[in-house]
Amino acid sequence: MADDIILEVDNITKMFGGLAALKDVEFSVPRGEIKAVIGPNGAGKTTLFDVLTGVQRSTSGRVFLKGIDITRTKPHRITELGMARTFQTVKLFESMTALENAMVGCHSWTKRGFISNGLLLWAFAEEHRIYQHAFEVLKDVGLGTRAAELGTNLPYGQMRMLEMARALASKPEILLLDEPAAGLNPYETGELSSLLLKVRESGVTILIVEHDMGLVMDISDEVVVLDYGEVIARGTPAEVQNDPRVIEAYLGIEA
Amino acid sequence: MKTSGSGNLPATANKREKEKSLKHMARDNSDYVILLVVALFLLTVPIWADYVSTFIMDAMIEAGIFAIVVIGLNVLFGYAGQISLGNAAFVGIGAYTTALLCTRITGFPTWFALILGGLLAGLIGLVIGIPVLRLKGHYLALATLAFGLIFTELLKTQNSVSNQSNGGIGGIPNFSVFGLTLKSKIMSSTGYYLLIWIIALLVVLFTINLIRSRVGRGLRALHSSEIAADTMGVNTKNYKVKVFVISAVLAGLCGGLWALSSGRIEASMFDLRYSILFVTMVVIGGMGNIWGGMMGAIALTFITKILELQIPQWIPTRPSWLADPGNIAVVLYGLLLILFMLFLPKGITFGLSRLGTISRRGGSRVKDRLRAIRYRGG
Repeated sequence: MADDIILEVDNITKMFGGLAALKDVEFSVPRGEIKAVIGPNGAGKTTLFDVLTGVQRSTSGRVFLKGIDITRTKPHRITELGMARTFQTVKLFESMTALENAMVGCHSWTKRGFISNGLLLWAFAEEHRIYQHAFEVLKDVGLGTRAAELGTNLPYGQMRMLEMARALASKPEILLLDEPAAGLNPYETGELSSLLLKVRESGVTILIVEHDMGLVMDISDEVVVLDYGEVIARGTPAEVQNDPRVIEAYLGIEA
Repeated sequence: MKTSGSGNLPATANKREKEKSLKHMARDNSDYVILLVVALFLLTVPIWADYVSTFIMDAMIEAGIFAIVVIGLNVLFGYAGQISLGNAAFVGIGAYTTALLCTRITGFPTWFALILGGLLAGLIGLVIGIPVLRLKGHYLALATLAFGLIFTELLKTQNSVSNQSNGGIGGIPNFSVFGLTLKSKIMSSTGYYLLIWIIALLVVLFTINLIRSRVGRGLRALHSSEIAADTMGVNTKNYKVKVFVISAVLAGLCGGLWALSSGRIEASMFDLRYSILFVTMVVIGGMGNIWGGMMGAIALTFITKILELQIPQWIPTRPSWLADPGNIAVVLYGLLLILFMLFLPKGITFGLSRLGTISRRGGSRVKDRLRAIRYRGG
């Protein structure tokens, strides 16, 4: 059973001064599932992602990726180990085309360095593989025709898609998506959800933070609910929806 | 295209396209700046025409030497976004290493001294870079600035290096390889011109290769967002140190060539003024433009040289703070930095490339297309 767990979050606590952004958060993500983390604004969802990907260090607790302790591992190493992410506020690389953005995503599985590339020693084949893979990924998310445009010039919805393509280009085993549907119109959200199902079918596990309840309920296998940094509920989308504590967290106490 | 039913739709689309490009033209002032630069160039021809040949040769040798350090700085500053105000110190390390080896040890091969100068500068760059590159922005600028100041101060006060109060070392032999010795630059020499520009162009080639590769994309990515680059698998700390070391090696190489070609060095050739000159060259040439370093070095070397020759004739009686033509140059660098930041932040190379597409506005789009498919193997 432990073999099927790809990501394990073990009692993570993150303190900002005296404030606990995360308190003993514990859950695991089985391989091949779509797991959602929901919760009101300020519940600690983005902090959780930052801790998981090594951008911020947890105060206590551990994170295991494929059984490897990555609690103190550097972000770029974590990506090499097979976990990629997107950001809540789109962080595309400026003055780079959509294709170049996706090509940066290929960094984790390529290795030619400064000297090799500067002197053109054994660099051609790898560069060709990067180009091919990045282009494939762009086509997969429906941006094949926009490859030559500056990433930051794309419409907002496509910028989000490009960020996802960039993460997918790293050939991840688990993909962390921070509010991928934020700012998308209903049509784009629909496209996103079918894309996410397609990604899962290709064998990539997905952990998603999302406010769009429709999307979460449609695609996720399991939901974890955070409120003030604590897990207040977990279960299938239907179970969570009817949990009184979840309703309370979102709507306040019934009069 | 989707609604081909109504006949006038393409026309409106065309109109909108036109309006868009008109708006673009109205906002874009860089063309005027280009005009200004070209006009300045053409109008000053009568002034410098007298010195043609020896003057141009000398200036081009100096420009080539500077180009080597400025290209390295452009990769560090223009592409990776890490500023350094201490690169003149690395030039100094290269120059002093080469000069000391060649003057203290008789018969030491000059080409080997040149390489050792570059390597030692790189090694010191590594030692300095690892702690300093944890800093960002202004803090990084200040830390590298401090390094540069300490270096020149040490040279001036530690007389054991040179036995002279200004840190001067004279009598540096000329560059020679395979028994072929180059004539000194005192009167302009084709030999040094070729040596320096061949090295400079090889450096350009190296950077073109580097920038178009995954490493170049990694550097540009960390310039834009370090966190995003890191989570995409770019080892940003490692990349920053490596690119800093490369810029230091190139600076050291530049210093060695400077020492050999001028035959004499002193501490004031590597002070803060030169660090600022190099940054100004990067900005004027074009930050993050492959040709920017070279163009900036040529342009500013010529401007400085012309001013140094002409100012005493234009303004024979000057206030004391302008007595030294070098001071005028410093004022000029500041002025140019501000003007370029305001009106042509992408530098003259970008400005010149725009001249080519001025008449056909569609050009930039086509170029964008090409940019995406020009990758090796693509």
